[in-house]
Amino acid sequence: MTFYLIRRVAIGILLLFLMSAMFFTLTRVTPGRPITVGENPKIHQSVINLRLHRLGLTDEQGNSYPIPQQYVLYMGALLHGDLGDSYINNEKVTTLLLQRLPNSILLLGVALLVALAVGIPLGIFAATRQYSKLDITTSLVSYIGVSIPSFVLGIYLLLIFGVILKQSPLHWGFPLFGMHTGGVDDPIDLLYHMVLPVTSLAILQIAIFSRFMRASMLEVLHQDYIRTARAKGLSIEKVNYKHALRNAILPIITLVAIAIPQIVNGAIITEGIFSWPGTGQLAFQAVVDRDYPVILGVVMLVAAGTVLFNLIADVTYAVADPRIRY
Amino acid sequence: MAQVPPLPLGPAGVPGAIPDQLSVETTVQQERDLVQPGVKADEFGGAPELGFWRLAVIRFLHHRVASGALIILAIIVLSAIVFPIITGDLYRVQDYRHPFKPPFQSLQHLFGTDDLGRDELARLLRGARVSIMVGVLAVVGYLLIGGTLGALAGFYGGWLDNALMRFTDIIISAPFLLVVIAVTAATGGVRLSTVIIVIAATGWYEIGRLMRAQFLVLREQEFVQAARALGASNARIIVRHILPNALAPIIVSATLGVSGIILLEAALGFLGYSIPPPEPSWGNMLQQFEQYLLDDKAYLVVFPATALVVTALCINLIGDGIRDALDPRQR
Repeated sequence: MTFYLIRRVAIGILLLFLMSAMFFTLTRVTPGRPITVGENPKIHQSVINLRLHRLGLTDEQGNSYPIPQQYVLYMGALLHGDLGDSYINNEKVTTLLLQRLPNSILLLGVALLVALAVGIPLGIFAATRQYSKLDITTSLVSYIGVSIPSFVLGIYLLLIFGVILKQSPLHWGFPLFGMHTGGVDDPIDLLYHMVLPVTSLAILQIAIFSRFMRASMLEVLHQDYIRTARAKGLSIEKVNYKHALRNAILPIITLVAIAIPQIVNGAIITEGIFSWPGTGQLAFQAVVDRDYPVILGVVMLVAAGTVLFNLIADVTYAVADPRIRY
Repeated sequence: MAQVPPLPLGPAGVPGAIPDQLSVETTVQQERDLVQPGVKADEFGGAPELGFWRLAVIRFLHHRVASGALIILAIIVLSAIVFPIITGDLYRVQDYRHPFKPPFQSLQHLFGTDDLGRDELARLLRGARVSIMVGVLAVVGYLLIGGTLGALAGFYGGWLDNALMRFTDIIISAPFLLVVIAVTAATGGVRLSTVIIVIAATGWYEIGRLMRAQFLVLREQEFVQAARALGASNARIIVRHILPNALAPIIVSATLGVSGIILLEAALGFLGYSIPPPEPSWGNMLQQFEQYLLDDKAYLVVFPATALVVTALCINLIGDGIRDALDPRQR
């Protein structure tokens, strides 16, 4: 187990290095220099050189470093917790990320919890009542959920709950835009503002979780030990929810780890649409502005998070399922 | 005392015997009629000689939802091909006297007009062309890259196998949308060809992994050993013996891949990283008109959004129909 852990962590770190090299090269071979974005055209060359030097792109004389050297500089700074400067905001990328991260974790965490809390029971009920109306409805809804990307769903939700219902005589609906001034200090208001973005992020995951849970549960229900448990006279409820569920729910652990980059993917546009001040919106804006250090920072952050969560998922799985030996 | 009617006599003269109608021959004949009406089953009741693929097509056509989806998709694709040919430049003809004409008011502009008075229907169908073209071409790319690498990795193993798995790990742990955006930006600009190549170059890993898994299983099978014993070369074994047997799940995955790519392309367009604005695509229409969501001009957003969802849903349903048709055991 210890050896396995060490090996997994080593592979994870190697992966992060490979990925950082890949994305660093990609963002650096991109045409256009950062200094050309939104600068005063009359600016003196020495100022430009100084700034390029500060961004870690050139030496004092304004000659650019070769990309491998730039990468070493970038990684050196990264190990000191510095992801470089944004081209647009004149801020450190780490500062920007740290400002936005709590908001994103809040939104994505709630979306994930909602997805789990709705998707898993749905899947279980659908499996224990195979081919019933509930089962068919669940499959149908999860079908549509998979086919609607979260940003289109976000637009529909905005239209229905933010516009049509508000303009109707009911005068009821949800706020269009993200976090209000109250922020975390006003939980009720916060929840109210979270309804639409959380829904648009959670639907896809609900669809995936319920489908997966249904398949996993059905597979377990057809195994011999379930028949044995029924044959010795245990009630259906006890067999379903005690014997079957425990084994069927295990693979969900891995699925959650896989879901995280997907939710982040959805969050990039969803946070943009709902003006939720998180890392997703930061990435959205950075993508629109072509602010590559910020894009690179977000990619690195998400990648590190994914590698970490995959590791946690695998270890949890090993702890939860004693049949697994490494 | 009521007379009990005599029981009908069967052919063997035994009362109540079931008429000799439900024998094997009848079912074979029924199946024949289903496939080729009028052709008689042969004397000995042999099973109809239908290949795997023809049976699959028949099973697919009997899948009501999937064939319905196929019809809808066919209508979308056909109108996306034919309509722009008939109407020519209509999608970019501007009419400043009639901007924001609401939909379903006149036959001339059935879906209304946009902010510059351009016909919304023509733009939608022009956008459908972009979506479908990107979807199909990128999937061809998936199949070429992922199929080849997956087959080689599964068959030979070794460093190629390791490289394939590591590449997948990298792509899976990064947010795919940002990856595609970074690559698109790095390769210099937002031409449609770049978008297609970038999507194909980054998204093939799923088919690659699937192909690898298929080859890993199939290369150990007896028919491969038999082929090798007969002196077949590796290339022949891969192409003629394993590939046809590995194809079914690949076809399903490729079909579902098309809808994934269409949604991805729309997301890219929404962010301004696909085909640029004078040319319409569903993604950039959503981006352009998102600002009108709060007015009564929301139809400008609803049409492309709905077109996107309907197309993706149809393709997913077809993909599932194909899955059921190719592997009837899985239902």
